[in-house]
Amino acid sequence: MAAKPGAATPTYSPKLVGSSRLPIFKDSDLDWSRPDGRGFHQCRPALLQTGAVSSASGSAYAEFGNTKVIVSVFGPRESKKAMVFSDVGRLNCNVSYTTFASPTIGQGTDHKEYSSMLHKALEGVIMMETFPKTTVDVFALVLESGGSDLSVVISCASLALADAGIMMYDLITAVSVSCIGKSLMIDPVTEEEGCEDGSFMMTCMPSRYEITQLTVTGEWTTPNINEAMQLCLDACSKLGEIMRDCLKQAASASEE
Amino acid sequence: MGLQDSSQDLSTEMEVDAFRRIFPLRFFERHLSESLRPDGRQLGKARDTIVNLGLVSTADGSALAKIGSTTMLAAIRMEVMTPSTDSPDEGCIALEFHMPPICSPTVRPGRPADAAPVISKRLSDTILSSGMIDLKELCLVSGKAAWMGYLDIYCLDADGALFDAALLSAVAAFSNLQIPVVALNDNGRIVAITGGKDQDNASITEKEAVNKEKRKLTLKNIPFSLTCILHKNYILADPTTEEESIMDTLVTVVLDSSDQMVSFYKSGGSALAYSSAIKSCVELARKRAKELNQILGEMDID
Repeated sequence: MAAKPGAATPTYSPKLVGSSRLPIFKDSDLDWSRPDGRGFHQCRPALLQTGAVSSASGSAYAEFGNTKVIVSVFGPRESKKAMVFSDVGRLNCNVSYTTFASPTIGQGTDHKEYSSMLHKALEGVIMMETFPKTTVDVFALVLESGGSDLSVVISCASLALADAGIMMYDLITAVSVSCIGKSLMIDPVTEEEGCEDGSFMMTCMPSRYEITQLTVTGEWTTPNINEAMQLCLDACSKLGEIMRDCLKQAASASEE
Repeated sequence: MGLQDSSQDLSTEMEVDAFRRIFPLRFFERHLSESLRPDGRQLGKARDTIVNLGLVSTADGSALAKIGSTTMLAAIRMEVMTPSTDSPDEGCIALEFHMPPICSPTVRPGRPADAAPVISKRLSDTILSSGMIDLKELCLVSGKAAWMGYLDIYCLDADGALFDAALLSAVAAFSNLQIPVVALNDNGRIVAITGGKDQDNASITEKEAVNKEKRKLTLKNIPFSLTCILHKNYILADPTTEEESIMDTLVTVVLDSSDQMVSFYKSGGSALAYSSAIKSCVELARKRAKELNQILGEMDID
């Protein structure tokens, strides 16, 4: 009576999949309206909370539209793998998805590419010399994937690190921009990412105006890249303000 | 906070937090002798329980259950399968319990937690043997199509009593489940009928919706569980991770809404479960089942 899910019972979803909206091009005009009614240069409203997981040293929950992510930070704690003495700390990152994160049934495996990109984004901003011989583990779980997953994971991770008290040069925020035809759209949703011509993701330290990671894929013209960079820097500093407010609220709430 | 008189010199001079870390058992026993636990609860009292329904938009039914700090997120997705030949009128439920690395410092990425497959199997057994779900309700077209429900439970925060929280979230997710309305296509495939769009209705002209009425499952004999710790002659209900790590004898009692016992689980441990201890555990479980039934009842009204 119980299922043996690994065995050969193939199942299919009855939902009508694949009826995606194609952008309508009228000459050089682009007639695309964003599914959630935002302006092209408008980010989704952000919900950020620290202290989501009590068993972790620090944690944060972020909800940007339909993208929901929880990040836990453990450490600094003993490195099981490192046999060699190192006078700087180590960082270990992992990003995984739930099986219900995307509309089609997935396996919910670890996303190795995102894990390594998260590592690269964080290693520029964490002061590793403050925790020698030990490791800080940053684990992310994407509960629901609604677009711009990696940017949300990175921002949420930096909030969790701040909640854990790990020393950093600054908070980092990440924003991505999608290029469809000639228009740039900031903070794309899954539908827009599916038909984009190019994607641009930037992680920066808002107060210091320094970029820790920049990922550009697809077709881009130079003026577009410059415009995307300006958009991202602007959005990153606004997001940085929101994150600071969130941390201040959490700190004053705990004092009461 | 001063410590009461003690025969050990060391413990009178130490701070409370240090004492708690270095002599955890004595710390707890000091509290138990006053019939209290460090978080102020009575011995037989469970932590505050909250259940929220319908949080995951990509799933057909979902629930978030929190018992104290232990948080579980359960989501059900329905897919269509061909039923097996020896039970052509029955669907199927596939349950899996995951402990992602965010939930606890003991879980490492890439290596599944030790507790996860054990809890997964126990949950599966408990839910299917309690008779809460009649698999015949999952049938669409006899012999050709039936529902397969994939229930995934994720532990978001592990603070003791994982089985209780997981069972509660699974039961709540089933009560939230809305089975999508479907019809049988010309090709013999089941397709979903979406209210708004008209493009594909042309092919679904003849067959009416196969299950227009059966959108929700009827749940009878809903199981509720309570995990207790047996230590010397104390019984502690709903342990936290700290309590579970110091005292090793755990007993789980699962009762259903008509007070029948669905399962009793005690796996090893240094304390023996005499019949008096078992009776007390069942009594505590009975009270807890009433509380949980009430909490779920309040949810269903929404």
